[in-house]
Amino acid sequence: MSLVSLQRDFQQEVLTRAPRVADDLAGAERGDLPARLGAYVEGYRGRLAEALGVPYGALRKVMGPDAFDDLARAYIERNPSRHYNIRYYGADLWQLVVERNPGEAGAALGELARWEWLLADVFDAPDDAPLPMEALAAVAPTDWPNAAFTLRASLRRVVLATNAVEWWRWANDLASAPAALAPAPEATWLAWRRGTQTFFRSMSPLEAGAVEAVAGGATFGDLCEKLAADVEETEVALRAASFLRTWLSEELIASFAIAGHAG
Amino acid sequence: MRNLGFGLGLRPDHYEALLADRPRLGFVEALTENYLIPGGRPLHYLERIRARYPVVLHGVSLSIGSTAPLDARYLADLKALVDRVEPQWVSDHLCWTGVDGINLHDLMPMPYTGEAIRHLVPRIRQVQDLLGRRILLENVSSYVAYRSSDMTEWQFLAELASEADCLLLLDVNNVYVNSVNHGFDPDEFLRGIPADRVAQIHLAGHERQESFIIDTHDAPVADPVWALYQRSVRRLGAVSTMIERDANIPPLGELLDELAVAERLAGVEAAA
Repeated sequence: MSLVSLQRDFQQEVLTRAPRVADDLAGAERGDLPARLGAYVEGYRGRLAEALGVPYGALRKVMGPDAFDDLARAYIERNPSRHYNIRYYGADLWQLVVERNPGEAGAALGELARWEWLLADVFDAPDDAPLPMEALAAVAPTDWPNAAFTLRASLRRVVLATNAVEWWRWANDLASAPAALAPAPEATWLAWRRGTQTFFRSMSPLEAGAVEAVAGGATFGDLCEKLAADVEETEVALRAASFLRTWLSEELIASFAIAGHAG
Repeated sequence: MRNLGFGLGLRPDHYEALLADRPRLGFVEALTENYLIPGGRPLHYLERIRARYPVVLHGVSLSIGSTAPLDARYLADLKALVDRVEPQWVSDHLCWTGVDGINLHDLMPMPYTGEAIRHLVPRIRQVQDLLGRRILLENVSSYVAYRSSDMTEWQFLAELASEADCLLLLDVNNVYVNSVNHGFDPDEFLRGIPADRVAQIHLAGHERQESFIIDTHDAPVADPVWALYQRSVRRLGAVSTMIERDANIPPLGELLDELAVAERLAGVEAAA
């Protein structure tokens, strides 16, 4: 038996529970070989289930530990880990949540899973410094239309149409329990980090569109043009400036550049 | 390798206590993968803690024994972290963690064969060349043994370390666990490994099953492991020693008390 075959067989047995490796193991006469192999087979599942409980703590609390464990075990049987870091195991758990929980409750649980994974990504996203408000004081009025902004590396956006975030708040002892897992008016949620602390809030459709434009590289001039479709012409520049002030004070922006200017 | 004294595994539960209480510790061992992330709180704390304590890095995903190619992404990320943290040394386990692009996130045992050594040596050298330093490889706990093994675990470790010119991280708990699980004399293990290559010692707790022991790191160090540790110090001399706890993590003070036991036992040996 080559090392290649041995490892492949052992791994297959761990993944599928189908007997593959026993003939290559010593001590079959002892009678406890199944228990010893079980330490690997069950240990694998236990470790991944525990790992899923880390980013999905609120989902676990809302579903209940037993239902969550059933979900995790089902996910593990279908999805071996393909990243060297167990931190990245379970990104698409929400799909199985929805599949196993049809209806409105399932939709909310699925969104809760997506929300928690997004927060996990915010938690260890790259570090960068916020752009101080004063940095914009030196921008010449003629340059403003060409000013483009880079959002913080930790900033994430997601559109949710259920009360998943309310359930997340409840699970984290920040709010009382909502009446049910239920649909809610569609909203774009924003999450980001200031220092090591995670913040989040929902946005109006107008602001969500503005953030999307900035994330796509729109200049301040582009942003004003976009806002002009929804806002009175006389209000456009004020509204754009107001958004910008809010984003700067909330530390959503990392840097800016004047398009066409070197450096 | 320099003796750093007595240390602890760095766990997020203890970040604040380490910074606030500044306990006397020779070093902390950070789990490599916990910091192979882009940024945020874990790296923030690691930076602050490394300003106060010597840091060593201890990985679980090198998969040095796998027949799959070494994970280029892992190696690049590891190198970047090593450059950033500048640890006293870097260790991982003498095991494989998966093949065919899958990671079992477990420390799967190697067969103790010449074929395995011939497979491992160039891989260890590749990692050492990349990092520009010798690495430490840890003996792992195992619950099964392969029919194909044609040497003892300690013969395997000795020959491998010599061929690859790497260092060893001696996990005394794992020696004890394996001595029970596979029926050998742990002192023969201690006598069989090259003392001059042992750069660090791990101590940890385990869980006894009906007929074998599982390495769980969720309990205090067991009495037979303390006794074996004392004999390890007698055999190896003073080596950087630390306690690993990965589950049921107690307050920092409890682990410091447990570490004081290690220091006392090592002191007894030094004075003998």
